[in-house]
Amino acid sequence: MTEPAKIRIVVADDDQDVLDLVVFKLTQAGYDAVPVGDGVAALAAIEAELPRLAILDVMMPGLSGMDVLRTVRANEATKNLDVILLTARARDADVDTGFASGADDYVIKPFSPRELMHRVNAVLARGNR
Amino acid sequence: MNVGSTFLSVGVAIGLAIASSIVVIAIAKVRRVRVGVSARAMLAPFRLGLVAMASGEDEGGQAKIALCALPAPIWVRVRPSVVAFLPKVRGLPADDLTELMRAHGEIDEARRMLSSRSAVRRARAAYLLGLMRDADSVVLLLPLLNEPVADVRMVATRALGTIGDPSAASAILRALRTQHGHIGLPAWVAAEALLAMGSGIEPALQIGLASEDPAVRHVCAVVAGHGTYLLAAPQLRILLATDGDGDVRVSAAVALGRLGGADDAATLARHAEASESTVLRRTCATALGDLGHREGTQALTELLGDGDRRLAELAADSLVRIGSEGIARLEEAAATPLQGPSARAARGALELAGMRGQLAASDSGSS
Repeated sequence: MTEPAKIRIVVADDDQDVLDLVVFKLTQAGYDAVPVGDGVAALAAIEAELPRLAILDVMMPGLSGMDVLRTVRANEATKNLDVILLTARARDADVDTGFASGADDYVIKPFSPRELMHRVNAVLARGNR
Repeated sequence: MNVGSTFLSVGVAIGLAIASSIVVIAIAKVRRVRVGVSARAMLAPFRLGLVAMASGEDEGGQAKIALCALPAPIWVRVRPSVVAFLPKVRGLPADDLTELMRAHGEIDEARRMLSSRSAVRRARAAYLLGLMRDADSVVLLLPLLNEPVADVRMVATRALGTIGDPSAASAILRALRTQHGHIGLPAWVAAEALLAMGSGIEPALQIGLASEDPAVRHVCAVVAGHGTYLLAAPQLRILLATDGDGDVRVSAAVALGRLGGADDAATLARHAEASESTVLRRTCATALGDLGHREGTQALTELLGDGDRRLAELAADSLVRIGSEGIARLEEAAATPLQGPSARAARGALELAGMRGQLAASDSGSS
């Protein structure tokens, strides 16, 4: 019997510590996590890997997480991708902008890895748009 | 001839100085790279355990036990990574990382460093104690609020905010005052720390709103509005009406817009009248929109024709935010045949609201 395909999640963060711990947490939970270190690589990984979910840091060199999100939403092939923004930008206006740009959820750093997993599971459970 | 040989000697000396500088820089770079490689190599066997701890996946606590048992020379290399993880996570992983730091004597060392002669060490120690949310260190951090070095005062304030013990609120408010020739804490640093402390600061806030120092009243009003401390509302009304400091009146108006009730629409409308300062009038117009009660509709409609165009725009935007009744007033103003300033402000606000999708939301909300 073949093992069911793991759900693929692209994780983009220029902070190696955050990247390592989110990827570790997702892998332990049985997801196929694809780590990338900047916005340009995130966009390339999303287009190449067609994941179910992307977890994007907002402040990254090159393309920001918000730029990646807007590009993803504007692209027919990726517009239904679930996206969680993971960021230190905690002001109400930042959160509003994140959701207005099409994020499915918004997690503020410092974050609880456990809570992030609950949010990942909840976003995926809501299913494709 | 002599002049020529002097030039030659100077040239050679400059050349040698440049060459030796290049050699020194190159050696320093190579050394730094080697130290980095060696630190990474030293950390490599422990990185996975550290990531497991930081992600809350250290089942059975095996990684924590191993990291707590590291000998001092290796801990020195691992420590920066632990400190780097601390501000990035919260919950159980943050507690585990703090326990690891405690096991290696870092809390005791940081407490000792609070009285170091070096301001950098004092600031670093305060920062670490904040990161580790060490509630027992609050009493040791409080004296740093009266420090001669401004940066240390700010770091200590932030640390107290991160620890979140509301008993430090009064001391932070006192540190806003300029004392012994030291300029007080910046208002925003104090406000952020106070907001991080939660509802327990309410008694200190009420005392601060009655302070004789306008800087303290200003910060307390800002915090009351952001944190929606409802018990502060009566004092905020008094500050808005009577305070001698313009900044305090403005921050009181903002706060009332956030936490006030329907009755406060009349108060805010009164302070948007022409006899008040431009900044207070504009703030009150915005606050009426934040308040969102229909009682503000009439006053805002009258402001649409004000000579201050920015005030008229803010009033129009607030009418949109009040909802269907406010939008109806804007539509009436936009439809007037004269097309004066009121109509222009109303049309602009309606166009923006249409672009933001607020008109559709208001329609569906009112149906």
